[in-house]
Amino acid sequence: MIRTEHLTKRFGKLLAVDDLNLEVERGEVFGFLGPNGAGKTTTMRMLAALIAPTSGAAWINGKRIGQDDESVRASVGLLTENPGLYPRLNAGENLSFFAKLHGVQDITGQVRKYLALLGLWERRTEAVGGFSKGMQQKLAIARALLHEPPVLFLDEPTSALDPEASRVVRDFIATLKSEGRTIFICTHNLDEADRLCDRVAVIKQRLIRVDAPETLRQGLYGQSVRVQLREKAPAYLARVRELPFVTEVFETAEGFRVALNEPENHNPELIQALVAAGAAIQFVERESHSLEQVYFDLLRESETEA
Amino acid sequence: MNRKRLQAVVAKEWLDMRKNKMVLIMMALLPLLMVGMIVGTVYFMERLPDAEFDPETGDSGMGLPPELEALGYKDGVIILLNDQYMFYLLLIPLALPVYVAAYSIIGEKETRSLEPLLATPISTTELLLGKIIAASAPAVILTWLSFVLTAFGLYIISNPTVFAYWMRPVWSLSMAFQTPFLAVLSTACGVIASSRLNDPRAAQQVTAIFIVPLIGLSLIVLMGKVYLDLRIMGWATLLIAATTAGVVWLAVKLFQRETILTRWK
Repeated sequence: MIRTEHLTKRFGKLLAVDDLNLEVERGEVFGFLGPNGAGKTTTMRMLAALIAPTSGAAWINGKRIGQDDESVRASVGLLTENPGLYPRLNAGENLSFFAKLHGVQDITGQVRKYLALLGLWERRTEAVGGFSKGMQQKLAIARALLHEPPVLFLDEPTSALDPEASRVVRDFIATLKSEGRTIFICTHNLDEADRLCDRVAVIKQRLIRVDAPETLRQGLYGQSVRVQLREKAPAYLARVRELPFVTEVFETAEGFRVALNEPENHNPELIQALVAAGAAIQFVERESHSLEQVYFDLLRESETEA
Repeated sequence: MNRKRLQAVVAKEWLDMRKNKMVLIMMALLPLLMVGMIVGTVYFMERLPDAEFDPETGDSGMGLPPELEALGYKDGVIILLNDQYMFYLLLIPLALPVYVAAYSIIGEKETRSLEPLLATPISTTELLLGKIIAASAPAVILTWLSFVLTAFGLYIISNPTVFAYWMRPVWSLSMAFQTPFLAVLSTACGVIASSRLNDPRAAQQVTAIFIVPLIGLSLIVLMGKVYLDLRIMGWATLLIAATTAGVVWLAVKLFQRETILTRWK
């Protein structure tokens, strides 16, 4: 649904995006992560046919950017970082204008559908300048969907929203995914990316890594369990190290962190071995790494390589 | 060119304009003041004694072109002044739309609505033409309305000779043909300025370039050096039309989506 080949963008001497190769499948929620100035918004603007690549190529829904931009824009819904609404116009008027530009056939029906879906129908006649940030963001999402695009680009969809509004927007994105739309999200909210995205890409001008969040975690840290003991003893550590399925053991304040390939299969044997050695086990839990940790480690790794 | 998208831009601009009371007041104010000034001045001049207009005895000090000498000084001077005032009416299509144009283009920057707008299938030509029509049309209508109101006022207060001269085709044709070109010229200047500059005030200043030659021509007429006839105004209309076409072409060429998106902060 979205494909880029060696996509590169320069602004004068500034290299904004460098040799980006990506492929996003139909119906996938794809997270685009990176620090400020990493080229996320520039990439999104290129993919939405708003700015032209310096070199390389990209296709949206089979249409090549730079050759059929009008069709590309018709297949894409864009939520910009700022809602960018007309403050003196009311919600219905804002949406109707964009529906006309997209050549929507049933303008009244589509406007009603999305205003109702996003809980704004009752406020449709109010000037949007008086809307809260959450309401404006919801209206901007409605605007991006009016022409039923198969691909959605969402730039920071929940930035500056309160937790309640963020949740509404996240739930709505999940609904859109269930409709089979391809959703490309630029975000700094790594927890949100972890919850919503099938795959994430970390970029800093160049693509650093792209994969499912869980695969990224396993690739970086493997699988491990945390064992908390009532009392620590060197004998317990030695016993754990003897176990053939254990790849690594780290001592922690309360016990050990044990790296092993198949925790589901080997945890019972690990517990039995510790109990047999006389250890009093308080807790055994799968160790989880946040996407934030993955993100920072990937960025650090890429800086070291550079 | 997609007509529906063009219409959508025009309709949205007018809707936005209708909801902005300040813009409406500012737009109506200038033409009203112009009409009031013209009709009021002629009213008082009509009541002055003839001797006041004689260059040897009165204060006017104005010479008359040969075409008006047969009328006598009073009527001649009033006709010359009326010609001068018509230039002022022609300033309306220059002054009004640039205010709206600068607002409509740079307003997109302020509301950050340009990016979602450019993400739709609208072309640059459709967008700019829509903005230009939306900003120019009210100014054209207000100018024509001012001309009709002035005509009505002069019909009531001035003598038939002065009115007949004033109603000669030079002005009605100039108003009909020059007003739309001047309005479009002014709007296109506002578009160029707002595409290249970040400051709406700068956009409004640009049309001053076109106001200067208009005022210069009006002063030459006032001094009695030139008597406006269809030939002069025909050439002036052609010159304005050619300049307008060039400026509109330039406006579309200079409106670089990418530069505007990445430079407007």
